[in-house]
Amino acid sequence: MSSLATSHDSEGQAGSLPGLSRQKQFNQAGSRSRSQGSRDNLNGWAFAAPFLAFFLVFLVWPLLYGLYMSMTGKSLTGANDSVIGFANYAEALADADMWHSLGNTLYFTVISTIPLVIVALVMAALVNVGLPAQWLWRLSYFAPYLLASTVVSLFFTWMYNPQLGLINDTLVKIGLPKVAWLNDPGVAMWAIVIATLWWTVGFNFLLYLAAMQNIPAQHYEAASLDGAGAWRQFFSITLPQLAPTTVMIVLLQILASLKIFDQVYQMTAGGPGGATRPVVQYIFETGFTGYRLGYSAAISYIFFGLIVAVSVIQFFITRRRSA
Amino acid sequence: MKQFEFFEGRQLSRRQLLSGTAAVGSVFAAAALAGCGGNASAAAVRDIQFWHLLSGGDGIKMQAMISKANDGNPGFKVHPTVLAWGPPYYTKLAMASAGGRPPQLAIMHASRVPGYAPGGLIDPWDLDQLAAFGVTPQSFAPRIWDKSQNNGKIFSIALDSHPFVMFYNRDVAGKAGLLAGNGLLQEVNSPEDFLAMAREMQKVTKAHGLSFGYLGSGSQMWRLFYTLYKQHGADMELTPGKPMVADNEAAIESLEFMASLFDDTIAAQSGDISTGIAEFARGGSGMLFSGVWELPTMKKAGIPVDAATIPTLYGTPAAYADSHSFVLPRQLNVDDAKRRDVYKFVSDILKGSLSWAEAGHIPAYQPVVQSQAYRDLTPQIHYANAADIIAYDPEAWFSGSGSDWQTYFAETVQNVLLGRDKAADGWDAFVRRTNTLLSRPNPV
Repeated sequence: MSSLATSHDSEGQAGSLPGLSRQKQFNQAGSRSRSQGSRDNLNGWAFAAPFLAFFLVFLVWPLLYGLYMSMTGKSLTGANDSVIGFANYAEALADADMWHSLGNTLYFTVISTIPLVIVALVMAALVNVGLPAQWLWRLSYFAPYLLASTVVSLFFTWMYNPQLGLINDTLVKIGLPKVAWLNDPGVAMWAIVIATLWWTVGFNFLLYLAAMQNIPAQHYEAASLDGAGAWRQFFSITLPQLAPTTVMIVLLQILASLKIFDQVYQMTAGGPGGATRPVVQYIFETGFTGYRLGYSAAISYIFFGLIVAVSVIQFFITRRRSA
Repeated sequence: MKQFEFFEGRQLSRRQLLSGTAAVGSVFAAAALAGCGGNASAAAVRDIQFWHLLSGGDGIKMQAMISKANDGNPGFKVHPTVLAWGPPYYTKLAMASAGGRPPQLAIMHASRVPGYAPGGLIDPWDLDQLAAFGVTPQSFAPRIWDKSQNNGKIFSIALDSHPFVMFYNRDVAGKAGLLAGNGLLQEVNSPEDFLAMAREMQKVTKAHGLSFGYLGSGSQMWRLFYTLYKQHGADMELTPGKPMVADNEAAIESLEFMASLFDDTIAAQSGDISTGIAEFARGGSGMLFSGVWELPTMKKAGIPVDAATIPTLYGTPAAYADSHSFVLPRQLNVDDAKRRDVYKFVSDILKGSLSWAEAGHIPAYQPVVQSQAYRDLTPQIHYANAADIIAYDPEAWFSGSGSDWQTYFAETVQNVLLGRDKAADGWDAFVRRTNTLLSRPNPV
């Protein structure tokens, strides 16, 4: 790469970047032959080729093949891979278990996104006010995010153990009744939300903290001179300045929560009574343990449609904000 | 565009390429020479890949048996791969077979074979080749041999049967006055008598009479349920395209009896597998319903453990069970020498399955079961009769050990056991769920 830099310097002009339009390159270079322009283009493609190849092989091709598969009766055993049109989609739309698991995924997304955003904001605000030993707070808030889902799941499974767990033990000591954390259909999803919150809130916390530290100190100085208190400053300066970050965090969090699978599979396996089975698990079950790959692909595409819809909403919200 | 000169420096590249090729070539040549001359005896050893799902104490026993077989057969070396029990194992085995890269040998639960054999994921065994190594249909108890068959062909060779049984603590039973003259637990043959016996034991332990961890575990709930259901003399049939055939009355009665256990006196209401096992192992209860594979844990815990089949409460002796069975995942190209090695290996393991019995399992190979050495194993011999009364899961592509179907059972029945749903409602929900599976296209 050093020879590349040297030659670049010796030429004494701005290097042409693959992403720039030919017109822009033309303006920068002053004059250039047509053949050199097309060679730039070629070089641009050469640079992009590894990524493009990856994109085509690992994203576009599986996407198309999955779509084709969802129109077949393909089985994991290789039997019966005839094309059956939209029959899988029709079956999925009438499948109560598909709707139930999709409902679980949406329920989890709603009840996890709200605390994951608010708690992250509160944690970032607490650290940002200038507590001593800031590194310790940052570390302890972010460290759980580095753990593998298996570790977190195992850890919380023991904490939630109805008889031997730390949480129930504490509840009993302070005079409260025991809770069947992972075995009560009304509680299990919340138990998973708590584990997920502990595990992943550090990422949102970091985003918020970075954004907060970018708010110019002059704003706060001016506000103090005008007699604004800490709360007033928080609601009138910090929160509005964080709005773009909040939009980003909320949407990233929604997309992350929609993909929920690991911790549920390991902590409850979708139980009790299917109360926590997310749609990704249902896709896994129908495809890999139920062998019905075609049907499983159809459910994947229904779910894919949902995620695309969320992303489109994200696109419009961010466009409106930046306009 | 000089920045791309390194693409164009062909002289250098070509030279580098040539010297690089020469270097790689010489490495290959060296390797080939070493292969020809130096290592002829090692090259003759055939590597056999063997997948199984036995972990913990079972895994250690199996590893010892494999090592012994390897030592006795210099012509081949069996390499085991251990995968996690349940869906992870079966998913990977199915995918490896479907993808054409399976191991030469694998262990499956006999109850899962109906989900693999019709789809062509496993090959049938050749009885003549098996007989050449001294293993014949007569080597197995009839129930177990029957289970090896699918569409008239032998698709699995059972290593064992591992029923769901009752462990009991001799001290607790003795103090409760429940031991018979022969030193074994008194026989009971009605639900009421069993509940009374458990209450007597509770008076001794002051905690619970019975340990049975079930929360979150479809397998555990199903094992006890199916034992009790089959004790009614009832059958269950799963035919794709048709509704499930079952004796609803027997099912509901079994569920109601199970629910009556969890009153926090007889058994803990909120117990999962690990708490149930831990409770019995530390003497917190007099009895434990669990699989035979839990025997080494209990012996290690140092409690005076004995065992028996689950008492016959509804007239017909029955015990839920499954078998660890050898299967031949379908090869794209069968290597005859390796296939022969696999037959030899399996016959060696079967003949050496006395050490497998030490892990609690009942060997399938009858010469071992009839040996004096096996008869001397206690408490194994006290539940050896289970081999005659075992009941495998009803056959369907979706049933069997570690299947989603057992998970669905937990989903519909757990609330019955927790006292939140009526037994009839839980059972109806399970039947509906099963009928949905039966109505869908059969993927195998």
